[in-house]
Amino acid sequence: MNDQDRLGPPPVEPLSDLSWARVERGLWTRMDSDPTRVVSVARSRPWLWAAVPALAFAALALVLFGRGSESPDAGSTGQADGQPMRVVSGAASSAVMFGDAHVTLDADSAVVMSRDLEKQSALLEHGAAWFSIAPRGSRPPFVVVAGDTVVRVIGTRFRVARSDERATVEVDHGIVEVQYRGGTVQLRAGQRWTSQQPSQVVAAEPAVVETATVDEPVVDSKPATRRSDTRRGDTRRTEPSDVKAKSTDAHLLDSEQPEIARTQYERMQALEVRDPAAALAGYLALSRGTTRWAEVALFAASRLAADRHDTRAEGLLKNYLQRFPAGANVDDARELLAHLKGDH
Amino acid sequence: MRLFSRAAHYDNVGTAPAVTVREHDIDLARRASSGDRDAQRQLFLAQRAAVHHALFRILGANRDLEDLIQDAFLEIFRALPSFRGDSTLARWCQTIATRSAYLAISRRRPVAVDLALVEDVLPSDADTRRQVQMRLAARRLYAALDRLDPKHRIAFALAVIDGRSLAEVAQLTEASVVAVKTRVWRARKDLMKRAAKDEVLASYLAELDGGER
Repeated sequence: MNDQDRLGPPPVEPLSDLSWARVERGLWTRMDSDPTRVVSVARSRPWLWAAVPALAFAALALVLFGRGSESPDAGSTGQADGQPMRVVSGAASSAVMFGDAHVTLDADSAVVMSRDLEKQSALLEHGAAWFSIAPRGSRPPFVVVAGDTVVRVIGTRFRVARSDERATVEVDHGIVEVQYRGGTVQLRAGQRWTSQQPSQVVAAEPAVVETATVDEPVVDSKPATRRSDTRRGDTRRTEPSDVKAKSTDAHLLDSEQPEIARTQYERMQALEVRDPAAALAGYLALSRGTTRWAEVALFAASRLAADRHDTRAEGLLKNYLQRFPAGANVDDARELLAHLKGDH
Repeated sequence: MRLFSRAAHYDNVGTAPAVTVREHDIDLARRASSGDRDAQRQLFLAQRAAVHHALFRILGANRDLEDLIQDAFLEIFRALPSFRGDSTLARWCQTIATRSAYLAISRRRPVAVDLALVEDVLPSDADTRRQVQMRLAARRLYAALDRLDPKHRIAFALAVIDGRSLAEVAQLTEASVVAVKTRVWRARKDLMKRAAKDEVLASYLAELDGGER
């Protein structure tokens, strides 16, 4: 086909002046009859009032973070340079990415986080949250402040709960250091500490956790209520005598609830541009579930890995085809796998 | 993967330096969002071609186009207070227009309207015949697009038909480049399946695919 034969893209047909006049007239009419058409400057003034307590809170956060840095071992946990960001969850739990850290807030919880990705810190205002912290490498430890309790982490997953000045810390994996009123304790995986008995470290109750490695941070929402999990091997060190296992069939895992899984999948989709590595890890975490979203997530992980020239792409695709031989993305997976093999 | 370079883009406002453009955009948005009708009209006149272009590309010839343009501008005016000048006003308006198109497709799945009331008869004049062929091909293409997932359709329309870069489509659709690439790929795959039974569509798709190399 030579260039003269080419049809080219379909032309965008212009609207006539009469049509434009009709559009404009209709637009102004609809705007005049719709009181919510434009948020005027005057209407936006309530934000100014909201800004006053927000600024006050930011100042409080700065003071509290500063106090954390005054402790003998916390020299590297200096005040963040960026303006703090406050995240509040409503009736449902919510998750937020904070650099390479993933924070899942329980319902009715609030956390203030510094925006300085080098010296990350979070102030738990109230409620509880799970923190998944990627290995810090040469960066200063991640610090969580909850009242008088300061938690320092190098790379782990743990939970901090706060009620007034009482705080509880539980570690899923890794090690954290808890500073409280001059004292310091170390918590390992499966251990729990509370400010009511600051000198004691006890075994945590079994909870539903994803057995993630540090390379694949868990991004699943943590349920607000505690659940037992006998399906997966639990690598945490817990003393059987300290633990009263709860009913094993009482609840489904979050990743096994289709609506939650779908929400998580969409979160990872949105995360792909900003942090593809975290999105990939999130897809992989989601792919461990049993809903149809596990299938979609595994294919998404394969596709993303392929796009990033990640060497795992081929293995993930093979895994997909093995796990979901009748999956909705089988054809695409085969095609992509063939494409990858052709590239090599 | 740059598919076509023929898209008419509306991101440049005159030849003024970028900073001036941004300041101009922010000032215009601020005045329009405060209820200044002159500023609103100025914004409408400046952006209407861009909004129309985006909607037409995604939806094709459509009898609801005038209403859809109004819908898009209503959304634009509602959202104006959130405009911070991170992108040009034109790009920002097109993003909202794209969102409006998505909502329109999801809501009522408009069917592409035939552009001719009578059966096309190929005329002897070469130019006219080419135009008729184009209309026929466009009609088949948009009829096939009507049956696609709205996200796939939008990605394909903007990237392949309109010739925008994947990065630009990602911005307009508020998705990742990877997601856009996948959507285009899937749209093309679905279209090719349909083209197996439609010679005109097959030929036109082949031409479009040829244009991306």
